[in-house]
Amino acid sequence: MKPAETRVAHEPWYKYGVAFLMLEMAIAVAVSAYSLYMTFNGLGGFPGKH
Amino acid sequence: MRSHKVEQLVIATVGFFWCFLMWFSTAAFSPSIAADYHLGIKDLGLLASSAIWMAPVGRIVAGWASDRFGAPRTFAAILAGCGLVSIASAYTTSYELLFAERVIVAIAGVSFVVGIQHVAQWFDSHEIGTAEGLYAGTGNVGAGVGALLLPRMFGTNYHDAFLWLGVIALVIAAWYLIRGRAAKTNERRIAARRGSDMRGAVFVWTRYIAIALMLAYAMSFGLEIAMNAWLPGYFTRGFHDDLLALGFSSVAGLQIAAGTFAAVESFNASLFRPFAGFMSDLFQHKGWTPLPFIAKELPYAPRLHWLGIALILITLSMIGLTVAGLSGSLPWSIAVLVVFGIFLSFGTGGTFALVPLLFPDRPGIAAGFIGGISTAGGIVYPLIFAGSANIHMGYLYVALYMFVPIVLFYFWAARHERHPEEHGLFDRGLVGQQA
Repeated sequence: MKPAETRVAHEPWYKYGVAFLMLEMAIAVAVSAYSLYMTFNGLGGFPGKH
Repeated sequence: MRSHKVEQLVIATVGFFWCFLMWFSTAAFSPSIAADYHLGIKDLGLLASSAIWMAPVGRIVAGWASDRFGAPRTFAAILAGCGLVSIASAYTTSYELLFAERVIVAIAGVSFVVGIQHVAQWFDSHEIGTAEGLYAGTGNVGAGVGALLLPRMFGTNYHDAFLWLGVIALVIAAWYLIRGRAAKTNERRIAARRGSDMRGAVFVWTRYIAIALMLAYAMSFGLEIAMNAWLPGYFTRGFHDDLLALGFSSVAGLQIAAGTFAAVESFNASLFRPFAGFMSDLFQHKGWTPLPFIAKELPYAPRLHWLGIALILITLSMIGLTVAGLSGSLPWSIAVLVVFGIFLSFGTGGTFALVPLLFPDRPGIAAGFIGGISTAGGIVYPLIFAGSANIHMGYLYVALYMFVPIVLFYFWAARHERHPEEHGLFDRGLVGQQA
């Protein structure tokens, strides 16, 4: 049985909101990958240089 | 003056981002403050812990105030008050006075629940997850940005940093007052104000579903702030030889490597939070209700299921942290930690996609209770982690003895197919609510 509140069309702002949250996720993945690469190669890390 | 809900979302997010920046700015400069005042390790610990002293009670009061007086006035008062004290702290020469002033500035952290209330008063139920996620996730990044940028911008000159943080807080407070609107409609505003009496607060505090959400937030955000404090020490001690092998031999080098792992977890927990809110909206949109026992017919039932999945994933990843730690593999521990940070965001984003829907007439009081008491987790978990004989076992103990009972309680509280908020420690009549 489906809940009462489903299948509501989104307003135009919503797609920009989703695009922005995707950008935030991409930043998180990029910063994580870069920081871990630096650390596992003994080059430094996220808060500062080695 | 007319306004659009996106403008209100932007104002709330900028205000919250700045409050988080102020909240954690003391920690960013603690080495400089320690050097200036010749502080010992105990003084530093006290200074670090003082950041969350005001959160549990402060958030309850702030949530109530936002229902009572409206979010713009409440948020502007917090920004202006903390901003003025931050400016004063820039000119302070006594450590005792500086400590007291920075405790007051840390009140900025209570603004979270005010913005939650503000966004809830403007956005509709089908988009509330994404809206609250964008607000909270983007604002939370202020803590990481503070740790990353403030020492680079101001060096050891924390006086200038505190001055500019305070001045800009005053500018944002004025912007919030001028452009902020408390609610989309007068009806919503009046309903929130009407529900903000003491009986309304007691009603929310005694509902099983509110207690379940508070515990869910303690499992996610409470754990997030606990791990921020715990993880650097964990990696320094638990993987000391691995860090030495990577070339981090000095104390500063070990701090940087261990701090990096902690920061990666924190960064993911913040920046994936809007996605978690979006997933809650997606569950709602698709009508997904895969879990047993939890209600399937409530208007927001799919959101309850999404949060249930998040809580199970957090529990499993805590067990994974212990398994990876006991294996002695640093890369595996980091891999589990990255996933763990993302699962934490599912819990934080999933919780506040539900709170405004469960208590639409008391969004501030509910947000204050759920977002306030749960921060005590930041104090409790590190004590359990530190008390374990084996440094890797604390995650397993917390998962088994705290999180499994919390998840079971959540399933039990979310099982009602009609009005779960009707069920609580007292009958509705006893707390002055109409049956």
